[in-house]
Amino acid sequence: MEILSLLATGFAQLFTPVNLMVLAAGLVLGMLVAVLPGLTLVMGVVLALPFTYKMGVAPALILLTAMYVSGTYGGAITAILFRIPGEPMDVPLIWDGYEMAKRGEAALALGWSLVAALVGGLVSAVVMVLLAKPVAGIALAFSTPEFFAIVFFGLASVVTLSGSSLANALISLCLGLLIATVGVDEVYGADRFTFGQPFLQDGIEFLLVMVGAYGIGEVLTRMSTGFAAPEGGAGQGTGRFRTAFPSLAQIFALKATFARSTATGIVVGVVPGAGATVSAFVAYGLESQYGKNRAALGSGAPEGIVAAKSAATASVGGALVPLLAMGIPGSGATAIILAAFLLHGIQPGPQVFVANAELVYTVFATVFAAVIGMCILGYFAIRPLCKVLDAPEAIVSAFVVVFCFVGAFAARNNLSDLNVIAAFGVLGFLFERYGFPIAPLVLGTILGPLAETNFMTTMVSFDNDWTVFFTRPISGGILAFAAAGLAWPLAKAVWKRVHDSRRAHARPG
Amino acid sequence: MPSKLRLVLPHGLLLVATLFLYWAATRIQVNVGAGRIGPDAWPKAIIVFMGLLCAWEMARRLVMRRRDGAAPAIAPGAGAGDDPQSTPAMHAGKLVAGAGLVFAYVIAVPWLGFFVATVVFLAAFPWCGGMRRPVLTTALGLAGGLALVIVFMRVAYISLPLGEGPFRALSLALLSAIGVS
Repeated sequence: MEILSLLATGFAQLFTPVNLMVLAAGLVLGMLVAVLPGLTLVMGVVLALPFTYKMGVAPALILLTAMYVSGTYGGAITAILFRIPGEPMDVPLIWDGYEMAKRGEAALALGWSLVAALVGGLVSAVVMVLLAKPVAGIALAFSTPEFFAIVFFGLASVVTLSGSSLANALISLCLGLLIATVGVDEVYGADRFTFGQPFLQDGIEFLLVMVGAYGIGEVLTRMSTGFAAPEGGAGQGTGRFRTAFPSLAQIFALKATFARSTATGIVVGVVPGAGATVSAFVAYGLESQYGKNRAALGSGAPEGIVAAKSAATASVGGALVPLLAMGIPGSGATAIILAAFLLHGIQPGPQVFVANAELVYTVFATVFAAVIGMCILGYFAIRPLCKVLDAPEAIVSAFVVVFCFVGAFAARNNLSDLNVIAAFGVLGFLFERYGFPIAPLVLGTILGPLAETNFMTTMVSFDNDWTVFFTRPISGGILAFAAAGLAWPLAKAVWKRVHDSRRAHARPG
Repeated sequence: MPSKLRLVLPHGLLLVATLFLYWAATRIQVNVGAGRIGPDAWPKAIIVFMGLLCAWEMARRLVMRRRDGAAPAIAPGAGAGDDPQSTPAMHAGKLVAGAGLVFAYVIAVPWLGFFVATVVFLAAFPWCGGMRRPVLTTALGLAGGLALVIVFMRVAYISLPLGEGPFRALSLALLSAIGVS
């Protein structure tokens, strides 16, 4: 009952003229960045961040959350119609959605993706509202060793799920943690890695790392491989694009697929570092193994669209649970939403449900409204959205660079910050080029201070007894999970090597 | 560049960086009581771990290369950068021009002001990226620069650099024309 009353307060906050306008702007912007292959959802949310500096905290979070939600849908349109996945999460939609489009069923494929996004989004929003407060309640009983263990778990999960080499991901994380130590130390007031430069005494803002490595780095990467020309006028002749919904009987026939993939999306979304892309691929994989129509997957089966799309949208609600309840971002986009909280002086975590309950439930209300708004927009705005594909990548990239610089400059009005983001842009490019994932670097700079403060406070409180992290049951348990998560890719690699070598020896000749 | 060196170069450079950072960490002023860990402990632990990872990765790549002959060493789950087959061809000229323009923009903004620097950047960047339509890119630079000044300085009230000398006068005249006092 209390939850419903708080949720009603959240909706009341959301349904003011200004906040509704911000919500609409977030939905349109999120869908635009998702449609453009040159702009990722995370980069789009990063670029919107400077516009939130002068906003109140509620409109800022409404804008970014709406972008996050609608950004999970836009790419489905281009994936199904043009075989251009706007986001990595939309790749599975090519396998079945584009195949349906080739058969002349593009409108129905788009209808299936809209229904899947609506079901996945709404169910995960309900689960998010029900789960977040109990999880935060448990977290309230935690002390500094448990918080250190949770932050460590979050960092470890990001590393193991980063999809690249484990060593490179760990190196990237270490670099992020080191960048977070630059400046005057909070506990002892000592200068660290400032090299006599006054501007380094204030530290390197995580915002600069994030905007530089993701934004500028991505532009340099695309420039180095040559900007793509508009896809032969992919947006031309948009008059033929429309959406046709499946019947209720057809939807009901796929109830098991909906249930399986929505649950997968929520669970994978809760795991820090996973996000929509992992959710979509895992759900598609499950469908191809356990689905009733698994043999038809990949040849234009609606089950493939439903599995990928409902899981991707369901991951949004899941990813917001650890962010709000424990201050651990569950995906790249939620890391930026965490940044928006921090820029407005609010630390997400169990206390936020006590001190800023209205704000938390405004975010929840935004997710519900954004899922519905996203589907309405996805239905009616399909023609202008496809037209956006005609924008040349070189021009879009030039604007991205300017937005990155304004975002970095406006945070502190410091010209030195422009040099810093340019440098991180080059670092982001080199990381991309040599297979180092950027996500651990960014999360290291965001979560590094939290990890260090909790570690140092624990060491001071427990007389330098580091075994306390392992002997306390909750922190020990969480650290064991983190260690298992780190060991899993190693074990898998060793097993594969042994298996391959046995097979090679068994082969005659 | 010899292929063996190219294989370990990124991690080798990072290893050198960790040695330098460890040296920098030893210079952190530590004024804490006996038995307490100081502000240098956390960064030192991270640096040591990072150095070990770099050394291990270099050794792994060299051992794998020797075992597989001339074939490139790729670990299961290795990143795109480990596999020359998966690394797309690089347009070095475009990259250098693009990175140069980005740094030139950073240096020029305080002197030229946001408006002039942005107009030039928006016109020049697509040109460097291969879009050889000077009239279009110039028009785009002018229209884009003006639109961004209105959005950031008139709507979002962000105080952006005005430039120096005549460029400052130009920025102030533009701001006055769009109604920013």
